[in-house]
Amino acid sequence: MAKNLRTKGSKFIDETTRVCFKFNGNKYFGFKGDTLASALLANNIHLVGRSFKYHRPRGIMTAGSEEPNAIVQINDNTAFTEPNVRATEIEIYEGLEATSQNCWPSVNFDIGGINNFLSPILPAGFYYKTFMWPASFWLKYEYFIRRSAGLGKSPKFPDPDIYEHKYIHCDVLVVGGGISGIMAAKISAKRGLKTLLVDENPNIGGSTIFQNSKYYKINNLTSSSWLENEIKEINKLENLTIKTRTSIAAFHGYNFLLARENLTDHLSANEKKNKVRQRLLKIRAKKVITATGSLERPLVFNNNDRPGIMLSSALKKYADFFGVACGEQNVLFTNNDTAYETAISLDQKGIKVNAIIDIRENSNSELSKEVEAIGIKIYRSSTVVDTYGYKRIKKISVMQLSTDGQSVKGQKIFINCDCLGIAGGWTPAVHLFTQSGGKLDFNEEDQIFLPKIYPSKQISIGSCNGDFELDKIINNTLKILKEFLEIDETEYDNIDVSGTRNLNKRNIWLLPSDKILGKTKPFVDYQNDATAKDIKLALREGFRSIEHVKRYTTTGMGTDQGKLGNMHALGIIADTAGVKMSELGTTTFRPPYTPLSFGTIVGRNVGEFFDIFRKTPMNDWHVKNKSKFENVGQWKRAWYYPNGNESMHEAVQRESKAARESAGILDASTLGKIDIQGTDASEFLNRLYTNSWTKLDIGKCRYGLMLNEDGMVYDDGVTTRLDKNHFIMTTTTGGAANVLAKLEDYLQTEWPELDVYLTSVTDHYATISVCGPNSKKIVSKVIPNLDLSEDNLPHMSFKNTTIDNIKCRVMRISFTGEQSYEINIQANYGISLWEKIMESGKEFNITPYGTETMHLLRAEKGFIIVGQDTDATLTPIDLQMDWIVGKKKYDFIGKRSLYRSDTIRDDRKQLVGLLTDDPKEVLEEGAQIVANLNKKPIEMLGHVTSSYYSPNLNKSIALAVVRGGKNMLGQKLFIPMENKSIIVTIVDPVFLDKENNRLNA
Amino acid sequence: MLNYNSPLVKENSYSELSMKVINPIMKLIIRGKKREFLSGVGKAINMILPTESCTSSTSNDTTALWLSPDEWMILSNNVIDKNTNSYEQENHLINNISKINLGAVVDVTDQYVLINIEGKKIFDLLSTGCPFNFNDFRNKKGGVIQSLMAKIDIIVHHKEINNVNLLVRRSFSEHLYSFLSDAASRI
Amino acid sequence: MFLINCPFCGEREQSEFKAGGEAHISRPKQPTELSDDEWAEYLFMRKNIKGIQFERWNHSHGCRKWFNIARDTSNDQIKAVYKMGQKPPVI
Ligand SMILES: [Zn+2]
Repeated sequence: MAKNLRTKGSKFIDETTRVCFKFNGNKYFGFKGDTLASALLANNIHLVGRSFKYHRPRGIMTAGSEEPNAIVQINDNTAFTEPNVRATEIEIYEGLEATSQNCWPSVNFDIGGINNFLSPILPAGFYYKTFMWPASFWLKYEYFIRRSAGLGKSPKFPDPDIYEHKYIHCDVLVVGGGISGIMAAKISAKRGLKTLLVDENPNIGGSTIFQNSKYYKINNLTSSSWLENEIKEINKLENLTIKTRTSIAAFHGYNFLLARENLTDHLSANEKKNKVRQRLLKIRAKKVITATGSLERPLVFNNNDRPGIMLSSALKKYADFFGVACGEQNVLFTNNDTAYETAISLDQKGIKVNAIIDIRENSNSELSKEVEAIGIKIYRSSTVVDTYGYKRIKKISVMQLSTDGQSVKGQKIFINCDCLGIAGGWTPAVHLFTQSGGKLDFNEEDQIFLPKIYPSKQISIGSCNGDFELDKIINNTLKILKEFLEIDETEYDNIDVSGTRNLNKRNIWLLPSDKILGKTKPFVDYQNDATAKDIKLALREGFRSIEHVKRYTTTGMGTDQGKLGNMHALGIIADTAGVKMSELGTTTFRPPYTPLSFGTIVGRNVGEFFDIFRKTPMNDWHVKNKSKFENVGQWKRAWYYPNGNESMHEAVQRESKAARESAGILDASTLGKIDIQGTDASEFLNRLYTNSWTKLDIGKCRYGLMLNEDGMVYDDGVTTRLDKNHFIMTTTTGGAANVLAKLEDYLQTEWPELDVYLTSVTDHYATISVCGPNSKKIVSKVIPNLDLSEDNLPHMSFKNTTIDNIKCRVMRISFTGEQSYEINIQANYGISLWEKIMESGKEFNITPYGTETMHLLRAEKGFIIVGQDTDATLTPIDLQMDWIVGKKKYDFIGKRSLYRSDTIRDDRKQLVGLLTDDPKEVLEEGAQIVANLNKKPIEMLGHVTSSYYSPNLNKSIALAVVRGGKNMLGQKLFIPMENKSIIVTIVDPVFLDKENNRLNA
Repeated sequence: MLNYNSPLVKENSYSELSMKVINPIMKLIIRGKKREFLSGVGKAINMILPTESCTSSTSNDTTALWLSPDEWMILSNNVIDKNTNSYEQENHLINNISKINLGAVVDVTDQYVLINIEGKKIFDLLSTGCPFNFNDFRNKKGGVIQSLMAKIDIIVHHKEINNVNLLVRRSFSEHLYSFLSDAASRI
Repeated sequence: MFLINCPFCGEREQSEFKAGGEAHISRPKQPTELSDDEWAEYLFMRKNIKGIQFERWNHSHGCRKWFNIARDTSNDQIKAVYKMGQKPPVI
């Protein structure tokens, strides 16, 4: 086994740098520049994994990102592990450890391989058919399915790598650095256009860069040497950025593309330390040129999936680019001339080709003649009917094709081989084009789908546009670019191109065997183990739409999205159903083109950047004083301040008592604040709020309730008249941004005639609320120059004042029911003022309290919290707040909705208070409320919206919404919990100080 | 005596990039639509407001940023006294604008934090989180745009070539500054 | 993600904007005069068509101005952008 299949000298591989890596625990060597696949092949290893359903041994099929089989887990059991890595893409580095996936205990002996022999009972739709009934068995099935299926293992540790996002704006984006992409990039950049060229490979040049055939000449040079010179030249262009190892994941509308730039996956652990692993590029391009090339098609025949069966183009790339022979006894199987090119390449490298099986009757091309001259045996009008060898192909059997290509005839011959190159023609890579919303057209002659209608400023060139021959590629590329970039001439107008293949192809989507179809395994989708048989079965069972067949057979649903086999699936459906492929259409290609890791998608939005946080001016004080924090929207708010080992409950009880018995202090800076100015400001407020505003005196505050047009409560808060035409509105913390946007909406669109200007000042102010019976004494110490008498500063009024020469506003407003002072000072003085108040309040045991105590105190007073006690289904009437609805007002937002047939119903959910029979029993917020526990199904009347243990009343209190609750005062209801039912009584929602005596205490 | 507390006391240097929080800078939002508003502002602070979208104008001591067809931000060019929050220009504007109902004048000095970024890599830094196309913007000084950086609202003022003032709301400033310095450390 | 040409700030990415639903629905001048059905028509009924749809958008992270666009919902192309108060263009 330990053979070295490296042929001599490839300039793309650095043979002076040996790289040691491990595959399935064994140590191997490769060279810098090798992919894992090329290095394994050089060590004569083909068997890399097991298939998804039948666990058949599978090898390396391709040399690119379309690889369906050779997907591996890298660096298993480390934090850096990644599943489903294509061996054909990952470049080897010192220390790389790769392991086979989807096999247990090992790739050489896989227990799941038994599925292969069970395959007659694992047909298409097997999962759908079998595991549907009885439903209770599903958990059992799932256990076994999950153990034996699945591709790779997800990482167990946090991803230690760094990922970034980056926005890029360019005039022209060229996707794909093959010959046409390179030409496009040069033409574009030389015209002064900011150009970006991306290619998924480590180097640009596509397949032309290793095309040394004498049949293809450009300006008398081999196409590879010509292109080499071009690459040297474009590397010097100022307007051109070239990003290699960068693959486009998605092509969205408006030429918005997402690309993954891979920066360190080819580096060893040492080299990649502290570097960004991958970058998600968010590209906005004025114009996009797609030059993504084409993918070689396999051929669909019996047992076409054994390790050692590869694409003919892959054989050529491994030989010409990596200097690796994929086998010592090679056979090629083809329906067109490209296999002959491969044969000549291999022969030139001294790699033996035993035979070519060609399903065509003849080919008269120069290539074909040369192959004959070399002495390679060609079997024409023939097909492979079966292959042999379990973990590596050993032998094939070949028969003559009938004239119609539907059956085989004649003598069966056997040919030995350890590698079979298959060439089924080419499929333009139109994936990105269709992702962008482009419409395809079917080309009968080449049996391919081609771009037809472009949805944005973009164009496709080269073989992804259906040009496969060098002269056609170059000439059409130039023609298309001139029109697309609106230019008259290019750098390449006098180019001289020669050489072309015989265009003659013969297309048979499903090649016949001497066995009946039911006894064969012609794979269409290698990764998902979907065969031609499965597709035919789906059609027999009545599936017609291509999208349904895809889902039923899982064709094209693997990590490779069926890049190789989709066309065959379509062809077999068309042939079987007797419809034209053009009428059948294609399935949708969805992003990403190749899989993206979550890390790339998330970028830097991890750890401290997971979510945006906002902090109040007093945040540092809260931190220093050991506050626990609560997230309120994006805000970090002080939740409660435990003393020593106090629990949350203990802290909140203490804080609540202190606020009512002496003094409490709250950071209320998160409340939204909107500055409202203009000659129509009071009229504007009148239209916004349910109550009347025109007569509010200067210096006075008023509570307002804002509705949506549907009559439901939207926001609330206190607004203060600072001057005749100047107000300041406070909103809820969570509602601030939306309220401002809503107000702007009305001003700009419904009432543009109003002279009103709105400016958010939420962050400009630190807002400190001091409450309690001793609050007045404390504030008078802090602001001795302010007259705090009831005459000068009564409840619901405000005064401008200064503290140590700094202007500020003091408002007498209360959310606790206690006498309260709300001081608004410029944010940068907030922490200093807070400390000053704390100092002055020391003698009164002033107690800082957080959001939890605030909620408790207001609940004692029956004050609602919009968003907690309301949920956009409650009107002010439902909230028993009829007093705030200005019935005499002609109009306000939402007024008309308050007497719709639905909003005047008596049995709407209404806000009530609840008391538990057991005063110690605290209800759970969200708990359901019922009247009759025996009625089935149980009828739910409403739910608890707020619930606390009140230390000031020494009992449990709650607010709730209950259907028809307004008229149920005194009624007993039940709250069923898991193990018991709690008896509650409906009461008025105001639990404490109904007469509001405490406000002026 | 009340102490002035800057929301951020930060200054960081990287290769070809440095960032620094500058305060206190007076910041006012002025709003108005009438022609008399524009002339009133001119009279009050002795400068012409930029009326072309996404531009700015500067006098000896003041800079005006266009924010919307009826909204501007007025900034002091230099730091101001920390021991007062009464500004001469604000009073002039109030007397010439809001007192006579030509528009609105609002003090937002502490609403925004001003981060000055200097160096050749400014726009590489901003491209890590801002969707705006800076290709033309970077070549012309004086431009002003409002956009998002790491999903946080920002105002970008291209003060001089390789010198940008970034304004962000105070409550977001700590998060934004860490995001910026994290990104800058890898540029 | 769209690129939207704000009539005040120029072309910006969609993330700077908020959509505001169907355009050209004015709030009735005298809601109290309307029947339940008429009010419901204003309040709830919106078009959802395949083709050109007139929509309100707000440059919420920019100049904060509202404006209208004509968008082809079948391919998301914006056919016109126009200011509030202007008549919808004929497309
Ligand atoms: Zn705008």
